[in-house]
Amino acid sequence: MSPAATTSWIDLLVQQHLDAAYNLGRWLLGNDADASDAVHDAYLRAVRSAHTYAGGNARAWWLAIVRNCCLAKLAARKREVPLREGFDGSNVTPFARSDNEVEERVHAAQQSAHIAEQLRALPTEFRETLVLREIEDLSYREIADVLGVPIGTVMSRLARGRALLRRALAPSAGEHKYGM
Amino acid sequence: MECKTAQPLLETYLDNELARADARELEAHVDGCAECSVLLTRLDALRRALRNNGLRYTAPAELYARIAASAASVDSASGRTMPGVTSIAQSRAWRTPTPWLRYAAACVLAFGAGGVSVRLWNSTHDNANTQTQLARDLFASHWRALAATSPVDVVSSDRHTVKPWFAGKVAQAPVVQDFAEQGFALVGGRIDYAGSERMPVLVYKHGQHLIDVFVLSPNEAASLANRSAQNGYRLESLRVGDQPAVAVSDMDQVEFTRFAHLMAGTP
Repeated sequence: MSPAATTSWIDLLVQQHLDAAYNLGRWLLGNDADASDAVHDAYLRAVRSAHTYAGGNARAWWLAIVRNCCLAKLAARKREVPLREGFDGSNVTPFARSDNEVEERVHAAQQSAHIAEQLRALPTEFRETLVLREIEDLSYREIADVLGVPIGTVMSRLARGRALLRRALAPSAGEHKYGM
Repeated sequence: MECKTAQPLLETYLDNELARADARELEAHVDGCAECSVLLTRLDALRRALRNNGLRYTAPAELYARIAASAASVDSASGRTMPGVTSIAQSRAWRTPTPWLRYAAACVLAFGAGGVSVRLWNSTHDNANTQTQLARDLFASHWRALAATSPVDVVSSDRHTVKPWFAGKVAQAPVVQDFAEQGFALVGGRIDYAGSERMPVLVYKHGQHLIDVFVLSPNEAASLANRSAQNGYRLESLRVGDQPAVAVSDMDQVEFTRFAHLMAGTP
């Protein structure tokens, strides 16, 4: 493959999965500036290491680079992002019942923010696995490639992550809302 | 199958990672077991909570522009571009801005200073007020199909089964093609209503994405914008043989374009 063709191949790949990359970055790093920086770094790294791509799932290869750049940023930031303690769902805010449409919209927004908040509170390894599976719709194989772990680990992280999230969302008022 | 065998498989089943035979066996068990059925419903509720609440962040226009700028400098720095020569490969990537990329650059110029992050697709196309009733009907039909037990009335990956099925149900049976080898497998077809018109729908699957292709009359096609978007789903016009049509799906833009080319029979 000529150099120009290589560049174009990477560019198309990155273009196609830029939202996926940014979404992963946002969920790992928590803000736009860091996520954008990490994805930009990842692009440069992907161009540099295009020759090391040895076939296989290209999206997983790209997202693995994105993830490495995010982890590098996290390490540089030197502070704990995941809230490993106090995670018992006790901070669930009960939703008010609503009758009219405006209230329902507010309610839907609250619900959505609430789910996002609980997902954000999960430890990194569960959060990233759930984001890749549920939001990016990656297969077990692809997630395993992105994270560099065996498929069995992906499955156990998903199970654990879902159990934690359900526990956080289920108690008290959340119960009738999500049906879990 | 017993509960203690079934329960550890529920998540794998819901993730679509269970072998077909195991999935059938599990379904048979869940159908007759209240406890496992409740567990599956709970898992599904959690999934919907994660998928239907707009938790996916989309890349801001600034990021597109930033990477496009790097792409240009990477190319010129390494002397890859021969003077006066633009390769086909380059014209397809960042260097020659596609319309949406040009739009991204414009957004950055307009809003970059104020730090306003622009949702590229939404701001260009997702304007519910200008959407026609027909477009809203088509989105609604797609969502109904996603929520239904089966998105199709006639299940078949064989185009020779699907086409005759339409004959007699609609004025003109559409051309039916299968693109399984190119990653867009024919799932089947159904009849749907948009307004009071019966309309044939071809259903394809691309990975996890379901694609509905609504075959339109010329009048209907004329009343519809070439593109629109709603809640992360997109609608794009294309051609099925000599008939105008629109595809509705949550695929991304690149895949949409590839699919439209396949449907139109242009490489």
